[in-house]
Amino acid sequence: MKRAVRDIIIISVLLMLALPAFIFAGAEEEAAPTGPIDIVYWRALTGAAGDTQDELVVRFNEAQTRVVAEAQFQGAYAELLQKLLAGLAAGSVPDVVLLDSPFVGLFAKDGALVSLDSFVAADKTDFDLTDYVPGLLQDGYYGKNLYALPFMRSTPLIYYNADMFREVGLPDRAPDTWDELREFSRKLTKVENGETARYGTAFTLSRSSAHWYFQGGVYAYGGQISDDQFGIHLQEAPAMAVAQLWQDMVMKDKIAIGSTDPHTEFLNGRVGIVFGSTGSMGSLMSRATFEVIGAFIPQKVQRLVPVGGSVLAMPSTDKTRQSAAWDFMKYMTNAASNSYVIQKTGYMPVTKSAANYPDTVAYYAQYPERKVAVEQLAYTRPQASVISLGMGTEILRQMLEKLLIGGLPVSQVMAETTAALEKEYNDSYK
Amino acid sequence: MQKYRDQKMRRKHRLPERLLTHLFLIAASIAIGLPFFWMITTAIKGPTEVNIFPPIWWPEVVRFDNFVTAWQTAPFGRFYINSIITSSAGVVLEVTIAALSAYAFARIKIRFREVLFMVMLAAMMIPGQVALIPNYVVLKHLGWINKYQGIVIPHVSSVFGAFLLRQFFLSIPSSLYDAAELDGLGHLRTLFYICLPLARPVVGTLTLYLFIAKWNSYLWPLIVTNTQNMRTLPVGLSMVRQAEYAIGPEHLMAAAIFVIVPVLIVFFLAQKQLIEGIASGAVKG
Amino acid sequence: MKPSVKNTGKANNRDKDVSQPIQTATPQVVRLIKKTSRRQRRNIIAFSAFIAPNFILLSIFTFWPIFYSLYLSFFKWNMISPIKKFIGIQNYSSLMQDPIFWKVLKNTFYLAAGTVFIKLAIALMLALLLNRRMRGRNLYRAILFSPTFTTSVAVAMVWGWILDPTYGLFRVFINSIGLRSPNWLTDVHWALPAVIIVIIWRSLGYDMVFFLAGLQSIPKDLYDAAKVDGASRLQLFRYVTFPMLSPTTFFLTIVSVIGALKAFDIIAIMTDGGPLNSTNVFVLYLYQNAFEWFKTGYASAIALILFVLIMGITLIQTRLSKRWVHY
Repeated sequence: MKRAVRDIIIISVLLMLALPAFIFAGAEEEAAPTGPIDIVYWRALTGAAGDTQDELVVRFNEAQTRVVAEAQFQGAYAELLQKLLAGLAAGSVPDVVLLDSPFVGLFAKDGALVSLDSFVAADKTDFDLTDYVPGLLQDGYYGKNLYALPFMRSTPLIYYNADMFREVGLPDRAPDTWDELREFSRKLTKVENGETARYGTAFTLSRSSAHWYFQGGVYAYGGQISDDQFGIHLQEAPAMAVAQLWQDMVMKDKIAIGSTDPHTEFLNGRVGIVFGSTGSMGSLMSRATFEVIGAFIPQKVQRLVPVGGSVLAMPSTDKTRQSAAWDFMKYMTNAASNSYVIQKTGYMPVTKSAANYPDTVAYYAQYPERKVAVEQLAYTRPQASVISLGMGTEILRQMLEKLLIGGLPVSQVMAETTAALEKEYNDSYK
Repeated sequence: MQKYRDQKMRRKHRLPERLLTHLFLIAASIAIGLPFFWMITTAIKGPTEVNIFPPIWWPEVVRFDNFVTAWQTAPFGRFYINSIITSSAGVVLEVTIAALSAYAFARIKIRFREVLFMVMLAAMMIPGQVALIPNYVVLKHLGWINKYQGIVIPHVSSVFGAFLLRQFFLSIPSSLYDAAELDGLGHLRTLFYICLPLARPVVGTLTLYLFIAKWNSYLWPLIVTNTQNMRTLPVGLSMVRQAEYAIGPEHLMAAAIFVIVPVLIVFFLAQKQLIEGIASGAVKG
Repeated sequence: MKPSVKNTGKANNRDKDVSQPIQTATPQVVRLIKKTSRRQRRNIIAFSAFIAPNFILLSIFTFWPIFYSLYLSFFKWNMISPIKKFIGIQNYSSLMQDPIFWKVLKNTFYLAAGTVFIKLAIALMLALLLNRRMRGRNLYRAILFSPTFTTSVAVAMVWGWILDPTYGLFRVFINSIGLRSPNWLTDVHWALPAVIIVIIWRSLGYDMVFFLAGLQSIPKDLYDAAKVDGASRLQLFRYVTFPMLSPTTFFLTIVSVIGALKAFDIIAIMTDGGPLNSTNVFVLYLYQNAFEWFKTGYASAIALILFVLIMGITLIQTRLSKRWVHY
């Protein structure tokens, strides 16, 4: 009996001994509450856009002593969203999070985000909400309340390989219309020994942004994917026409491809034209071994693009941390920081003061080709409502896969996608 | 005499056949080994040597700086530490737990022991993938998401290890146990001073096997880790690939080498033990 | 790998006295009963302590999840919301109408069939070649076995690069036999075969080692007897080797089928289930629903179906291995 009791004790001790790693991990987690407030910032994006965020966090920590922010990388937009959902489910969320702009509503709806209204009202500094570009601030609202500040906002652009354009004798400018895009792509396509060695255009099929460029096409054709009431308009002429055009370019003409990693294809010289965010400008230009030029997305009946990019939101619930998080959000979006973002990445100015900031002005004077980001600001409109559904972007990505890889008839694909989006709306939003 | 002639004939008959066998096996070995070679040779190529066809087998200049670049694309040092901590802690716990259960089922006689043993074996049939969601919910309640214990604890229970060790403990002659009892050793000391030292080869194989399995595991650490500083090597590696902006294949392969090489080294050092461990499990199973 | 429990019977002589019938209560016997019951008690406590860690963990992380999955599968829940909405069997009925789910089932079956036949044939051939005393035997065996233990994530990335349609190593071989390299991972028809190639590459050595063990356990006198009867080598294989290997073959078939049902890592990295779900398989679809789209109830229903399938296959295995496998 005694022996058994002793055995039990020894076993427990042994198990305890095997757990030092966990105790160590736990201790690290609960740092002393005295001193500066530690906040965690979840960021997405890599390359120049990622480095810029890290740099701004460093600057923030140097600029003041009350708060220490730590940036944690979470992957691309889509992965970050998943991690945030997982974090919410697990009850462990960051203090500030970078969100793909259409998703504010999804999180605000379930009460996962803190409304910023009280912070705006109580702010005694020279903070001015009206300084933000109204069209960009709009995405931060859910209902009547503000939940997010615009941060690295972007519009979809096309990027082309200027060396390749010269090689095939194309004019030194981007295709202005969708019909011209098709024509240029045909010229850029190169067939060797019966195999296509180079395609004109790569359409994006990646999770984070496939839907975005398609929306751009639909806007240009004068339509929309869905309205504010979640009515789906995919089976109307504009969306059908864009779908048909893209499919024809890939399936019939064989002058374009659908790719989950179009920028790699572009940088490797396997395609001449790709779609990208204004925020990809810095990265693409610095990495390419050829001349890269960014330009407006092609137009058709109008010039109009869905505004995208990221906003900053606050999921935390702890009061002291919230005030620290608010300071951080203000710093990240102030004129100096925003000007730095503009110069490093090509994202758009989010405040009027950032647009007029001396550094910004000087920068655009020096690199007029990068001004395309600002110029396109005049032609922006928020994204389709269905994007904010849990599976909305995924359903649209699958639609493009069906069109560009499966080669299924456009009318069938649009009908299926409409049904899928309606089902998703009923399942997850209502 | 008859036998001798038989052997001689057989040998003569077998010479070309042997050559052919070797030829086949060499071809198969090359086919299996080629991806490893390709991984290494790509990792030391320059960017212009990667994107050409037909591909070159060996670069003009060996570019070791690719490893430096790859190492900098993500906090690989941290990933290493995380992988080492979670794998080692997991192995220590699982082997301990397996040994304890094995001993109980082999040497401590109580009623319902067989029933309990069957219950334990039944667990082997339940695929871990079914438990992903419930385990996540449990960890959420324990506050273990994105912690080492969350990565480790759900996977340290042991059925196979316990079964394997139990078989071994049963094969130890009972006179040894009787002697241990006469010496006044309790169960725990019998386990540690008699059984485990005798079972050293089995425990060794089990440890290696479990370590490699834990080192390689991907799905569960992917689900329970949220932040860069908690990710294990395979998860971290997959994140590098998901980066929105392209990194070259040469860097990707260099990063893959960081993850694969420790396992390959362990494997080739202990290959005989590992393979024969698995093979003997096959015979018994 | 179904373990036998035969030899745990009553061989334990220390405990023999306990089971002896007690008819007369002589003082010695009373003492004996007291002593043994004390020992029994002590044994029960020790036993419980020894198995406690394992059984507690198994209950929490293996047994209970089955019931909780069943429970969750009747609800609509996004893991964030505090409210779980009871919807009866709606998750199951949606699954039955979900074209992707049917595709996933088909893919899984295709994956299982594709890996089993080709892989087992090659593995058996290699095992036969290695099943003799020869120089370099251990080295061959180690090389052929090495992919089994490599990290699947890294392997998938390496293969993704090898299968690159433009610069990939595989294109060299495809071109050398006069064919044109398909866009392996982005072509609806070729993505799954590509995955099958990688899985075969990775698990070939494992199956081979099992076949080797199986070959070595065939008694030599069976061959001798057959040879006396004048059997040719082909006949030896047909009538001795192959039937005697049937337990191994059967076991490996089951393992491969269950492996297909559990496949995740390589597919998640190489294709992420695409293009057009042409490589989507059970666990990946479960993962997507549970941890990407947060359809927890729906994913639980998938998990439960997976559980039933694997249980079914395992039960069939235990039944059949008794009946048609030739021991």
